[in-house]
Amino acid sequence: MELLEYQAKELFKTVGIPILPSLTIQDPRHIKQLQIPYPVVLKSQVRSGGRGKAGGVRFVANTIDAIAAARSIFNLSILGEYPEVILAEAHYNTERELFLGIVLDYNLQRPVLLGSAWGGMNIDSLLGNLQQVVVDEAFSPFYARRLTTQMGLSGGLICSVSDIIAKMYGLFRDRDLDLIEINPLGINGRGELMALDGRIIMNDSALARQPIMETLNLSAQQRSSTDRSAWKAKRDFARVRWRWLDWSNRAGKVATICSSFDSALLVWDLLEQSQVVTASSALIENSLRSQAENLQLYREQLQDIIEEIAKLPEIEVIMLNIWDSEAISREVCQAIGDYCTETATSIAASEQTLANRAIARDTATPVQSGSVIALESNSKTASPTANSDLDDCRPYFVLRLLHEPSPEELPHSERIYLSSSLEASIDRVVKLVKSS
Amino acid sequence: MFSNSNAIRPNFFDLSTFVPPSVNRTLSESVRSMNWFHPHKVIIQGITDYQAAFCALQMKAYGTEIVAGISPGNGGATVEGVTVFDSIEQAQAEVGEVEISLIFVTPYQVLDAAKEAIAAGIRKIIIFTPRVPPQDTIALIEHARSTNTLILGPGSHGIVVPQKVWLGNLQPEFYQPGTIGMIASSRHLCYEVAAELNNAKLGQSKIISLGNDRIIGSDLSHWLATLNEDSETEAIVTIGQRVNQIESIIAYSKERGYNKPVIAYLAGLKAPQEKIYGDAQTIITNHLSGSIPVVNRDRQTTEELRKIGIKIASKPSEIPKIIEAALSTTNSKQ
Repeated sequence: MELLEYQAKELFKTVGIPILPSLTIQDPRHIKQLQIPYPVVLKSQVRSGGRGKAGGVRFVANTIDAIAAARSIFNLSILGEYPEVILAEAHYNTERELFLGIVLDYNLQRPVLLGSAWGGMNIDSLLGNLQQVVVDEAFSPFYARRLTTQMGLSGGLICSVSDIIAKMYGLFRDRDLDLIEINPLGINGRGELMALDGRIIMNDSALARQPIMETLNLSAQQRSSTDRSAWKAKRDFARVRWRWLDWSNRAGKVATICSSFDSALLVWDLLEQSQVVTASSALIENSLRSQAENLQLYREQLQDIIEEIAKLPEIEVIMLNIWDSEAISREVCQAIGDYCTETATSIAASEQTLANRAIARDTATPVQSGSVIALESNSKTASPTANSDLDDCRPYFVLRLLHEPSPEELPHSERIYLSSSLEASIDRVVKLVKSS
Repeated sequence: MFSNSNAIRPNFFDLSTFVPPSVNRTLSESVRSMNWFHPHKVIIQGITDYQAAFCALQMKAYGTEIVAGISPGNGGATVEGVTVFDSIEQAQAEVGEVEISLIFVTPYQVLDAAKEAIAAGIRKIIIFTPRVPPQDTIALIEHARSTNTLILGPGSHGIVVPQKVWLGNLQPEFYQPGTIGMIASSRHLCYEVAAELNNAKLGQSKIISLGNDRIIGSDLSHWLATLNEDSETEAIVTIGQRVNQIESIIAYSKERGYNKPVIAYLAGLKAPQEKIYGDAQTIITNHLSGSIPVVNRDRQTTEELRKIGIKIASKPSEIPKIIEAALSTTNSKQ
């Protein structure tokens, strides 16, 4: 979870990293309460970088300008996010700006200290001079000094900047951080240091054990990102849970429901190899096996997912790839069957209110895994023209299950295709998409 | 391709003196030669967790020798026929020296549970719990390294030797005995590939689940080396989303060479999932540069793998054909 600047600075304060006097503002009128002498900087508190360029950072010289600027910042969305808080900070004269960061390097499996003597807005020179020191044993301040000498610092700066790095490391360690960054660390004419901006990313797996989570005011964006991680629950493995994969691709006509993230990727691969685009995917993860209440929960969650997907008009085919026990396979069949029966009835009902359409359909095909289970003759179903046949049938369901259901478990319907072979299911999806 | 299980069960792998490169902290040879595949005396830490109890039941039915469960505060109880102790010390006093610990405790307890196991002399640990805070995992890996302990996981689903050994919660009914080794970081992909292999009558020698956490105790390069030196494995398949530690794999290939076909299937390489970067500089560059696109490393990775002779499959159904082609070339050379 990424902290906003003012939250990061609160943490800086707890370890003695110098920050400017400031006020957090949730309403432009509160600017009148500002005790900080003008000129003042107003900064939009949003997650994304590039605030300055987008107009989210404004210098103001008096109260009237400040209120006007605050109003416009609150109405400015940067990369899709509106600020809930604005940070008002004192002005600071810097002679020089440095970049400091500590990042958990997942390849090296160690924390890495990063620094550049060319901190600030000019990214090219920052990156061009970026230095790195790997903390390969327990941290000690000499690692920080190593970084400062690599950066080319000398004199009093070596120790003062190392001190800041050591404090950053303390936070990194104690708060389970993935990243902590100060850019820029300002140096004034007297060689004093000031953290002018701050960025902290806390590791999602560790949020539940961090006491600060109780006291932080989370923004809407932060709340939604942590909902997806498991932090709230001091629970054992989730029983059944489902989540969306954010692939929302408007061009796609297929939605998939899979047992795990990797299954979803596999299905995505196979569809992509036949030039079919997956619009979105839902994962229904079942970490327990076939306990009774669990099965009920599974079916309910599956029904929720299907209803969500059905709301997307562009979806023509829903493919399920469920690798699980026989009991679960039965629940899946039940859920799909119920859904098709319900929607068929409602479509049939609405069509009977329209006049003159009653062509009974007569087909029968053998029921075996890998074939289409077609509609038997049923005079209730109205299927007037070829086009609205397709409409009635959408969305189609393609089920890949390991176990073959009995005829009572899965009703006959032209909409449903079932196979235990992944490739056969994929072929069917491709055919359906390309024929529509 | 299909070979019967051997009449004589070997106890060790025969390793010649390979010295791993000092790149990226590869595990030592003595650690690799450990007897993972014929486990005696297994304990389960966190046995009162529902998943753990369920696994214990299934493992016992398969023949795995689970001698004790550990759950502080629940000593004296019995879970699925396994006696529970408050501590490993007490358990070993009764059942003797334990060889392997399977850890199912909650994420924030993992580091401590593993340390307890190591302190009790256990040198092989499988951590089933996923989403352990990475700084804990790093501390654990350090500790394990200094004590020559081998860790599988976190987030592992265990090890299966079809019809012989079952340590974990991969479902053994999906595997057939044979000579193809599998190393997977994903459970369902592992099943899918095994299904394809079974259809082609290519059984599996050993299946190892590395775990899906971003930092894991023993990685692909380690287990590739292990299977490369395993006499019961003729070809190796690795399945997952990405290949980390590629330098170790390349280094091993240069120094020792993979003497059997290695096939990789990487899922979702082109899928629009959020790209996850591992190294510090890329992470920072990404953030600072904002919209500047970063080079897609995945294609580089597959190229580098191809250069050292590892074959890349574009989907699971291709894997049996690639194996058969590779093995027949090897056979015809002999």
